[in-house]
Amino acid sequence: MNGVLRVGKWTLAVFVLPCLLFYLAFVFAPIIVSVYYSFMEWAGMGEQKFIGFENFRVMLTQDPIFWPSVLRTLYISGASLLQIPIAIVIAVLLSRYVRRANFLLSSYFLPVILSVVIIGQLWKAIYNPASLGGMINQMLVTFGLESWTKTWLADSEVAIFALCFVIFWQYIGYHVLIQFTGVQNISTDIYEAASIDGAEGFKADRYITLPLLSPVIKVSTVLAVIGSLKAFDLIVVMTGGGPANTTEVISTHMYNMTFVTFKYGYGSAISTFLVIFCLVMTVLLNLAFKRAEEAAS
Amino acid sequence: MKDFRSLRRAGAWIIMGILAVTQLYPLLWLLLYSFKTNSEIMSGQFFALPKEWVWQNYVDAFTSGSYLKYIGNSIFVTGITLVLTILFSGMVSYAITRFKWRYGNAVMLVFLIGIMIPIQSTLLPLMIIFKNMGVLNTHLSIIIPYVAFSIPIAVFILSGFLRGIPTEIEESAMIDGANIYRIFFNIILPVMVPPIMTVTILTFISIWNEYIIAAIFLSSDGLKTLPFGLNSFVGQYNANYGAIGAYLVLGALPVVIVYFILSDKITKGMVAGAVKG
Repeated sequence: MNGVLRVGKWTLAVFVLPCLLFYLAFVFAPIIVSVYYSFMEWAGMGEQKFIGFENFRVMLTQDPIFWPSVLRTLYISGASLLQIPIAIVIAVLLSRYVRRANFLLSSYFLPVILSVVIIGQLWKAIYNPASLGGMINQMLVTFGLESWTKTWLADSEVAIFALCFVIFWQYIGYHVLIQFTGVQNISTDIYEAASIDGAEGFKADRYITLPLLSPVIKVSTVLAVIGSLKAFDLIVVMTGGGPANTTEVISTHMYNMTFVTFKYGYGSAISTFLVIFCLVMTVLLNLAFKRAEEAAS
Repeated sequence: MKDFRSLRRAGAWIIMGILAVTQLYPLLWLLLYSFKTNSEIMSGQFFALPKEWVWQNYVDAFTSGSYLKYIGNSIFVTGITLVLTILFSGMVSYAITRFKWRYGNAVMLVFLIGIMIPIQSTLLPLMIIFKNMGVLNTHLSIIIPYVAFSIPIAVFILSGFLRGIPTEIEESAMIDGANIYRIFFNIILPVMVPPIMTVTILTFISIWNEYIIAAIFLSSDGLKTLPFGLNSFVGQYNANYGAIGAYLVLGALPVVIVYFILSDKITKGMVAGAVKG
């Protein structure tokens, strides 16, 4: 991958250093600083006091919110993966039954380009009680299902599902589009050959479409998992981690500890954990893909 | 057999239709909501056209919400971020893929790791660094992290593209004694327009919509970007439902307009970005 052009040291520096130094200073250095803070007891103002691994000990053994928030992060990632089979079905239907899929695709995709603030506030309004204009509760009342009405985001049993649904709603269009591109790239010759051998319809989908989609399925998987780790700002806008911490994920817990209760040292410990968590998830995901590829071949 | 086929076709359309309604109805609902009076919103009709179209909601949102100011800020911040991201990552991608030097692979790896680092983990240290630099609560304090976190994916896409195009022209230009900066700006940049479009679209969508960084690093009302301004407006006028709806529609408007004009380019760019990321 190394290039062929010979250039002087100065030229090299001009091309590489501005970007590299900027990037190291504002992405890597903060992570290192954050690790350093995580060994401190520090409330923002006043002295920083070195306390060793105390923050981590408290986080791992005493914090009642921490482990549930880790599990919830994994849960949201897992739930996000459910988008993929739905997206595959829709993508196959689109390419089989719709001649000009553009209109449908764009309507599926529209929520993807909107800001979390718009999506979060819109769905807060949708989830409102019927008397405050909430769409879902008004619908339930209209259909005579009054007993099903809930304050969706304030009910500790359903708030997390209500949030997951919004994540679904925002990203399903992205997954449909990715799978659709994948389906379009499969050559029609293969289907013709298969139909001569007697494989049509669902049989063709099972043995041809699905295996040939595996590269884009991988893309969707990465996107769903990483996307759900990033669901942070949606949760901050919609519930802030409440009610009773039942929608708290690792990053919102970190955010609340740092910017709401000003435990800078403790927040940094959670933040350090989050970085490690993301790196480990990436490695595991790659391992899983390798396994799957070996099993397939 | 024929009946069975048309039945299947109908089933397919029903499934695709349900998804389209699920995706579009909440947005349509918001549009209707934004034209209603408070009492009409609370009266309990989930589907009804406004009895009277209340434009006053839009007047309220527009006059009390510094809408144009926020849009101006968003355009400024997003514009600068795009230019810096493309320039920085274009140059570094060129060096990684074309120059003969020892650390090309290592530098690439450093950028790749950045794709996996969660931006939330840098919020506190950056806040303290910016406080010490004296740039907290200026546009610089959000442009810096925006550029820094847009770089990795941009480098990835641009260098992936550069690796796929032949080097003969540049080599002969070098032999003819052309200056490397001229080669980069006059020969390479024009060739790189398609991947630069992809980077522009991905960066535009994520920066234009970004909320948390702006909300933490900015505090003056005059500096807020659109998503942050929007959220503050909702918090402030929380009992005026119609005006909130109107402001949400206004907030979505710029990006929706851009999407209507460039929808093909945007969907292609976002898919390309996802596939390569």
